[in-house]
Amino acid sequence: MDNFISKKIKGFNYKNYIVYISFGLVLLFFSITLFNKGFLSPENLMNILRQTAMISVMAVGMTFTISAAEIDLSIGSIVALSALVAALVLRSAGIILAVLAGLSVGAVTGLLNGIIVSKVRIPSFLVTLGTSSIISGLARKITNLEAVPIIDKRFNFIFGSGDIGPISTLFLWTLVIMIVGDLVYRKTPFGRAVLATGGNKSAARFSGIRTDAVKVAVMTISAVCAAFAGILYAGRLHGARYTLGEADVMTVIAAVVIGGTSFTGGRGTVVGSIIGSIIMGMLNNGLLLMGLSVSDQMIARGIIIILAVSLSLREAKND
Amino acid sequence: MNKKIFSVIALMVIVVLLISACGSGGQNSNSSQTQNAQSTSQTKDDMSRFDEEIAKGPNGETPTRSSEINLTEEDYAKLREGKHKAALIWAGSGEWYNALTEGAKEEFEKMGVKIVAVSDAQFDPAKQATDIETALALNPDIILSLPVDPVSGTRAYQPAVDKGVTIVFADNGVNNYRAGKEYVSIVTGDHFGMGRAAAELMNEAIGGKGEIAFIYHDADYFVTNNRDGAFKRAIQKKYPDIKIVAEAGFTQENATGEVASTILTQHPEIKGIYVAWDVAAEPVVAELRAAGRNDVKVVTHDLGANNDLDMARGGNVCGKVADMPVEIGRTMAKLAGYKLLGKEAPPFVVCSLIKVTRDNLEEAWKKSLNKELPEDILKALGKK
Repeated sequence: MDNFISKKIKGFNYKNYIVYISFGLVLLFFSITLFNKGFLSPENLMNILRQTAMISVMAVGMTFTISAAEIDLSIGSIVALSALVAALVLRSAGIILAVLAGLSVGAVTGLLNGIIVSKVRIPSFLVTLGTSSIISGLARKITNLEAVPIIDKRFNFIFGSGDIGPISTLFLWTLVIMIVGDLVYRKTPFGRAVLATGGNKSAARFSGIRTDAVKVAVMTISAVCAAFAGILYAGRLHGARYTLGEADVMTVIAAVVIGGTSFTGGRGTVVGSIIGSIIMGMLNNGLLLMGLSVSDQMIARGIIIILAVSLSLREAKND
Repeated sequence: MNKKIFSVIALMVIVVLLISACGSGGQNSNSSQTQNAQSTSQTKDDMSRFDEEIAKGPNGETPTRSSEINLTEEDYAKLREGKHKAALIWAGSGEWYNALTEGAKEEFEKMGVKIVAVSDAQFDPAKQATDIETALALNPDIILSLPVDPVSGTRAYQPAVDKGVTIVFADNGVNNYRAGKEYVSIVTGDHFGMGRAAAELMNEAIGGKGEIAFIYHDADYFVTNNRDGAFKRAIQKKYPDIKIVAEAGFTQENATGEVASTILTQHPEIKGIYVAWDVAAEPVVAELRAAGRNDVKVVTHDLGANNDLDMARGGNVCGKVADMPVEIGRTMAKLAGYKLLGKEAPPFVVCSLIKVTRDNLEEAWKKSLNKELPEDILKALGKK
């Protein structure tokens, strides 16, 4: 028996669990420092999960992109355009059409990003920087910078404002996207093709993987996830505005990298990215509850992100 | 590994302890901001004076009401002969800036002035400097501008000053520039009046007593600092039964949701929340809805379709104070006309404000933005 346990302990590879260790550390730290300030109250914990839902959904898509050694900087602008398109379509059509219209903003942009990256052979960093500007411009143009309110109660309930028992629908959507994303990532040939493409493109191609198709697919997945996040923002805020998602790109990338996905591709986890996103949410929430000023919050958040990322990247290097 | 983990924990603890030590003053940072606004305003204890007090210009200029700025038909005729060109160099974009442009356009049409460029600096001082240089290539006679940054503005506007362009500012001035020399005048909303009116709305909304939260713009920005400061002072001076129990600042308008939820966690008893402006209030309203807190009233500044729909439906948003961007735009154009005609222009001009509740939403949109109320909101008001 003792032998069995010691074997288990020896076999335990902590490197796979770095993100959980970071998560535990941040949770422990805030639980101690904020024990009488409501950090651990169920409402506050649900707040964190709800507020991070949009980042989490985008992080799932970004995990695929970064695992394939690409990046998608256009997600912030897709959030805004998808939310606006869904809100506008909702004025004259039903929920299903509105959601499809919103998602198609992501699908079209993602396909475009992917095709330019794989066929014209421009780095995704530059392609998505360009499309990001185009999409932002469109989002500003279609409503002449005005907000579009949403009065459809069912839409608002399903996509952001509703609760089923004590559980926010936003959290349920995060769970659904996480489970689907995780299954596709770990259990399908496509998931393995993504990792192979990111790990070593030439080797992947020689082993029969159509790396160009994989690239188009990952860019589309990340853009569709962003479009869905836009729909969730619209449901949460009961309306859309061209400024939605503006500041989200860096948070999403940080969440994915803290979650253990290698920035150079070939390695990652979907669940880790969600945990990374929740760590970012806990930081925002905890630093606010501590009563820090915005400047102090920014400094603390920056330092903790660097520490968390360096931990996960250093362990990755040692693999 | 153990060493690494240990060193990371140790680092985290040290960092956060250090920051909480220097951050203990964090929530008080607003008091220094209020003090700033106070010193600019030289607040008098006398209540009636307090009620009438108008913010002075950034350089202590005495304010003039915009109703005193007028051009005659002869003035317009004379201006039309000049066939002047104008560039509008704004700091941001949105409904408010659209209205500003519209007001200026309306007045420039009467003057026969052609608008050759409209730019949005996206609140980036460097982009604004570039925008000015680019616009100058079109040789405008007039620049109407809302400066992003008074400090770097000194350099950014210099090429226009050197060319002798007539410059009229909105809201902010530029450091080391003098009215009547480098620029004509600054036109702005009545920010102290807006803060006081917001306090009145809060008082009405929560029935004259109770605890409230104060979510302010945590940045050195003339307009928002004045409005936030005036709200806070008005609550403290005029409504002794209303107590501000939570204060928190923000710099990114989409970060206020998290701020609101932490306030609700720590002060569930609050009856109202003041938020610095409309777009920043949207995530706050979303959090209140999520928490099922229909009883918490929100008061903020500026009009915007999303929150106005909430107001029309009797939701959390129950009062707003709006300035008159259309009027600010018109007045700026008129003051440019003053300069071109050689008339003496007052250095600091203040436009009026409107207190907005569910009852006068339609009128407010017309007056402030020169726009019809969006259809969804009219429906929610039962007017369609």
